[in-house]
Amino acid sequence: MTGNKSKPNPGNHGGIRDDEYVPLEGGTSLSNLIGKLLQKPLSIVHELETGNISWRIHGVLLLVSVVCLSVFGFVVGTFSWGNQLWATPLKIVSGLIFSALICLPSLYIFTCIGGLKAKFSSVVGMLCAIVALSGLLLVGFAPVVWLFSVSSTSALFIGFLLLVLWVICVGFGFTLIFRAGKAMGMTNTGHLLVWCMIFLLVTVQMTTTLRPIVGKSDSLFNFGEKKFFLQYWSEQLQQATDGRSDD
Amino acid sequence: MNPTTQNAIALCRGDNGLLADWIGAARTGSVRCCLLLIALGCGTYGFTVGLRNGWEMGAYVAVKLPLILLITLLLNGLLNGLLGLVVGSGIGVRKSLQFLLVGVAIMAVILGALSPVSFFATLNTPSSGDGSGGYAWHGASLLMHTLLIAFAGIVAHARLLQHVREFSDRSRAGTVAFFAWLAGNLFVGAQVSWNLRPYFVSPGLKVEFLRDDPFNGNFYEAVWVAIKNVT
Repeated sequence: MTGNKSKPNPGNHGGIRDDEYVPLEGGTSLSNLIGKLLQKPLSIVHELETGNISWRIHGVLLLVSVVCLSVFGFVVGTFSWGNQLWATPLKIVSGLIFSALICLPSLYIFTCIGGLKAKFSSVVGMLCAIVALSGLLLVGFAPVVWLFSVSSTSALFIGFLLLVLWVICVGFGFTLIFRAGKAMGMTNTGHLLVWCMIFLLVTVQMTTTLRPIVGKSDSLFNFGEKKFFLQYWSEQLQQATDGRSDD
Repeated sequence: MNPTTQNAIALCRGDNGLLADWIGAARTGSVRCCLLLIALGCGTYGFTVGLRNGWEMGAYVAVKLPLILLITLLLNGLLNGLLGLVVGSGIGVRKSLQFLLVGVAIMAVILGALSPVSFFATLNTPSSGDGSGGYAWHGASLLMHTLLIAFAGIVAHARLLQHVREFSDRSRAGTVAFFAWLAGNLFVGAQVSWNLRPYFVSPGLKVEFLRDDPFNGNFYEAVWVAIKNVT
């Protein structure tokens, strides 16, 4: 038998396995960081906190994010083809990076309030790790999205599917940040929960701000008409329902 | 007894040693063996499903049933591996694909074993084009095969869950990974089967390998429309 079951870890605190918050092995190469991001993400956080500030890890994580989100965006763009093939990846990459940027100050402050004595560069790295991990998972979903994009006729369905996938992927990112916070001695994670809600809200609103990301449109952007995402989605749902009932 | 048959029986018995060798890549040819079992088991069963509408449809379904499973595994392969790693099971892309191939192979063996029963049922069922009662027989056939395939799937995956838990770094992570794979495969599998329809050929429709517009619409849109029509 090659499988081995988990054994009780005397170093466990609050369900967090301290054995994962260990120095990063294997260097900061692209392949090693991707592997560690998936399997031992806390070792990256450990390196960010205890290693020299070289910003190399941040750069690699950012590169992973941009490449993965571009690939995913291109696949999403195949639903509409035309200009959307390049506009969708551009919107997804720029929208997510902009969302991360505007949420970075609040993340740092909230981690401080929660009792975390982390360097600012570590918090930046954690945010990069969230986006990179979400991007990697989205690439995993890309074949599924492609299947539905070539089969579906409804932009609403694809939009809803993408939202669900985004929530799943960013959920793994949030789990990472909670684990990192606890492993680094955060005493109160309630503030992180609030930040997660804010980040999710910002990213979802960004999809409405940068619309249309799915489906065709005369203009690439629609900044003139300001809408909250709930209002926009309810209008879209209403239109789809009315359209169906007319058939 | 030839090696493929021996492996099929060992899989059904839950032989951990065989699976350990396969997952550890200590024994080569496991993928070939699984593919052979899937082609034979699902192909045979698929043939008996389509046979109700003639030899041609039987051949079509014999090809399409294994294809659904393999395409689903391919589309979800990367995702399943990433999910396995992220939840902490330690099962990556290759191993997750291997596990799921084994699960589908077990399902194929069960379906293959049920093929004679399905064949007998088909022999006693009028084809879709035969006179009155066509819809009733069509519905009965659809229900029977859905139940048999569901049964085979549940038994195979219950066996697979034990293996995944044992091979995972942490038992609980193995369970989470398994159900994540299952959810993804069900979600995508439904759509792939929708794209590759028809299988049972509704009364009034012609026998063909694929519909004229296989990529027009998706499974979930169709369910939504159906619900709207009912309400």
